[in-house]
Amino acid sequence: MQFYEVPDTLYAEQDKFELDIEEFKKGNIDPVKFKGIRVAHGVYEQRQPDTYMIRIRCAAGGITPTQLKKVAELGDLYGSGEVHFTTRQEVQVHDVKIDGVMPVIRGLNEVQLSSRGGGGNTIRNILTSPDSGVSLDEVFDVDPYAIALTTRMIHETDSWNLPRKFKIAFSKNSDDDSITQTTCLGFVAQVKDEQKGFAVYCAGGMGAKPMVGHELFDFVPDTKVYHVTKALKVMFDKHGNRRSKFSSRIKFLWKKLDREEFVRLFAEEYDKIKDDASLNLELPTLENAALDATIPVETAQGDAFELWKRRYVSAQKQAGLVSIKLPLVLGDLLRKDADKLSAFLAEFGENTIRCDRAQNMRLRNIPEAYLGNAFNIISKLEHTLVGHAPFIGNMINCTGAQTCKLGICLPRGLSSHIRERLTSSDLDLDAIPDFRLNMSGCPNTCGMHHIAHLGFFGKVGRKDGDMYPAYNVLTGGKVEMGHTQYAERQDELPVHFIPDFAHDFLKVWIDRKVKGTYDTYYDFLEAEGNDLVKSLCAQYKDVPTFDENPDFYVDFGAKKRLSMDEIGTAECSAGVFDMIDVDRKSIKNNTKLLDQELGAEEDAKVLYRILFSSARMLLVTRGLDANTDEMVFSLFIKHFIKTGIVSDEFEDVVKVGRDASKDELVLHKDKVLGLAAAMTALYESMDDSLRFKTKDGDVINEIEAAEEESSATPKSSIIEKDFRGVPCPMNFVKTKLVLEAMKSGEFLRIMLDDGEPIQNVPNSVKLEGHKVLSQTQLGAFWEVLIEKV
Amino acid sequence: MNLTDEQIERYSRHIILKDIGGIGQEKILNAKVLVIGSGGLGAPVLLYLAAAGVGTLGIVDGDVVDVTNLQRQVIHHTPDVGVPKVESAKAKINAINPDVKVIVHYELAMAHNILDLIKDYDFIIDGTDNFPAKFLINDACVMAGKPYSHGGILRFDGQTMTHVPGSACYRCIFKEPPPKNAVPTCSQAGVLGAIAGILGTTQAAEALKYITGAGELLTNQLLVLDALKMRFRNVKVKKNPNCPVCGTNPTITELKDEEQVVCDLK
Repeated sequence: MQFYEVPDTLYAEQDKFELDIEEFKKGNIDPVKFKGIRVAHGVYEQRQPDTYMIRIRCAAGGITPTQLKKVAELGDLYGSGEVHFTTRQEVQVHDVKIDGVMPVIRGLNEVQLSSRGGGGNTIRNILTSPDSGVSLDEVFDVDPYAIALTTRMIHETDSWNLPRKFKIAFSKNSDDDSITQTTCLGFVAQVKDEQKGFAVYCAGGMGAKPMVGHELFDFVPDTKVYHVTKALKVMFDKHGNRRSKFSSRIKFLWKKLDREEFVRLFAEEYDKIKDDASLNLELPTLENAALDATIPVETAQGDAFELWKRRYVSAQKQAGLVSIKLPLVLGDLLRKDADKLSAFLAEFGENTIRCDRAQNMRLRNIPEAYLGNAFNIISKLEHTLVGHAPFIGNMINCTGAQTCKLGICLPRGLSSHIRERLTSSDLDLDAIPDFRLNMSGCPNTCGMHHIAHLGFFGKVGRKDGDMYPAYNVLTGGKVEMGHTQYAERQDELPVHFIPDFAHDFLKVWIDRKVKGTYDTYYDFLEAEGNDLVKSLCAQYKDVPTFDENPDFYVDFGAKKRLSMDEIGTAECSAGVFDMIDVDRKSIKNNTKLLDQELGAEEDAKVLYRILFSSARMLLVTRGLDANTDEMVFSLFIKHFIKTGIVSDEFEDVVKVGRDASKDELVLHKDKVLGLAAAMTALYESMDDSLRFKTKDGDVINEIEAAEEESSATPKSSIIEKDFRGVPCPMNFVKTKLVLEAMKSGEFLRIMLDDGEPIQNVPNSVKLEGHKVLSQTQLGAFWEVLIEKV
Repeated sequence: MNLTDEQIERYSRHIILKDIGGIGQEKILNAKVLVIGSGGLGAPVLLYLAAAGVGTLGIVDGDVVDVTNLQRQVIHHTPDVGVPKVESAKAKINAINPDVKVIVHYELAMAHNILDLIKDYDFIIDGTDNFPAKFLINDACVMAGKPYSHGGILRFDGQTMTHVPGSACYRCIFKEPPPKNAVPTCSQAGVLGAIAGILGTTQAAEALKYITGAGELLTNQLLVLDALKMRFRNVKVKKNPNCPVCGTNPTITELKDEEQVVCDLK
């Protein structure tokens, strides 16, 4: 069996990808362009250069024992030797070199798994409740819907180039364990008048700007799942913001439009298709049953077995079958463990594994009689947390700066230290099996800190100008259909104090929980928990100076001091704008070179590069792709000059570039620079859907504005300052001090944190009379370019 | 920039100000201000200038702290009774801001020593409580070409003005001290303590504005406060060509101690 069917076109796409990899290795494809290609194939670059991870789709979190065995084998042959379970119910292979990428992808084909759409602006892995189909209290099994919808969606070509990623989740009942209000589109199983159906939520999302999803339907019949999804996808495709990858998720569209307009635009699409029954999903039959196993029944006895059963085994609604939770260490399953497990599970059938969102495995459809066998195997696996209380395995963390280019801190290291601190204490962790202690390495939310009971997300702390790893502390995240709420920030802590802090906080909560002092955790927070957090944070605030304790400035699990230098931009959203940026930068940098009086010969080469970048820059917005320089110029003339988007006064100089010798360009320097300015202005004038500004249907001539613009382009060298981690108003104070020491007309580029800093500092700089030339978001940070007046 | 990280933090609210900035703060740190009298006016002046980071603060006062001072001279505290005011003030300033160098002059400003006292300072503050001293300070500053801030308080009233070389001086307006018995001193007439705070902080602000060059000073005008009605008036004044000290033909060319008026009011 399999959890989705890949489209036949996939294999041709893989052949093309293989050629692209070869070209990239030869240096014929720009790394930025290659990023756009590979990310759509689920291939992400890790923080270590030339090292990749491959994300594999597991619809409904399902993977068969056969598939798992294969992934583990591929991970061992080409990667780090283990299967990594993610917080999005899928698996990844880490540490793959470029030459290993195709062997892994082709290997996955053998077991009908695909990494296509693992990243990029696509329909992402569709999530479900990990115990859907076997749970005693579910409304009905939602897995078949997720599986059918996945197959349908990945066959539609328009799923691969959306304005941004599109996440879908299904929950089996109103507990909403798939947390539908945190995703783009969520379905919660309901039954109304004996009709199966769903409450539908949309436009939620976590990330650095979290928003709770809104109810789109209180009930739609289960036959309409595809129609709703399709309509939202088409609407998103039409109206989503393609310009800024930082405000392009569906949640931002809702925010921009408001409910009424959003629902109207959705209804426009939905009404077109909603009555077309031919579009109904064909639901697969997904049997939750066990094959007759051929292995002999083993027995197990003793306290350890009984404790394990209490902690990790639960009855299914299918009589005689049980589900087993297998807590992994940071989501990693070693190949040898995977092999043993796969062989055992295969005895009972292919429908025996789900991934959950806490990076653990859920085994299902195991006959109760074989629990002894299961215990004997599981307790001997080398790398699990099965000996600890479930709380320990439920802690969620992202991989952080270990592999992620955006990470500030290393939550894997923190998680390990918290685990050691708590398990070596006398806390009764079995009292809080469902407690969510989640952490992310940066303000993005891969570690789901927004829904944490107690959450952390990484930040930079500073003492006397030295940076140390630290985390914001949040409490109170809540998940329930229609009532989900995000955790609120309470305070912050240096990473080295967090294990003790977590211990002290949980000690009090466990005491209150056992005594039954409060009805809910939220009552506890309100009555004393949040005050407790604040008083503990006050207690744990004495940061030693770097000289006193250099280790304090090294993150858990890191080898050297915290540094901001290696943080890059997000991998997953590589798109059109990154490619445009390559040319924009080329224009900028080459224009600077012209000031250096390098001689006519060099100038000719520089001018050629400016002309080439100007011509190529926006071709991608028209869906044009050129393989040769000549083609770039020809396509540009055809699609930009002949169409009137760009003034025909530039046609001659483009032709010089295309047909004549480069040396001649020196005679046309002004025209080349004029075109560069015009194209930059045209880019600035594009709207969010990559259309150029029009007035009464005509294209506005932006050339004049462009010339003004170009005079503002920085010519002299730029002073760079990093004020990330510097709180308000000190970031402005420091900016101002730098500006004071500069001469009029010089440029300063500063890095600022998101939130209060970016909202305040540029305005304050403007009030001082300086010019703020640009503000660009780079993940959790902003880059601001200032001209001193 | 020579500001340390600690200084950048300490003075951040100054640095943020458009008219001050890091450059202005450096000027403050390099400035020398002499405060004559560390009583009702001098106390707030010293506290705010110390907090602002004025690099050198000189204090001239020959008195010791008396329990009757504590109602308004907020730099002196109950345990300081009996301590020379200059020492009491210095201890508080050191506690507020270690950046500030304090030079104490445990003596009264008199004709024979005042020019020597003021010569090393950039700005002088008159925080005295009697007319002879006020005229002496004015004359000395005019002669030495020093900018200074005049201040005076009584009952619910107060007044202040700023003099810089070339602008109207105190004697342009008031030719000489009032006759005996015309005006009582604080000790006889009383004063609302908070008035000292209002006027003293105004003088401190003037000093900081002078140092940093921010805004316009209270020159050629007298700011008059009637706190019972809580009205401030800016009375325009002009440089008097017949002024005995700064006029075209000055008649006062030498400093002398005016007779201290003795008040008969009972």
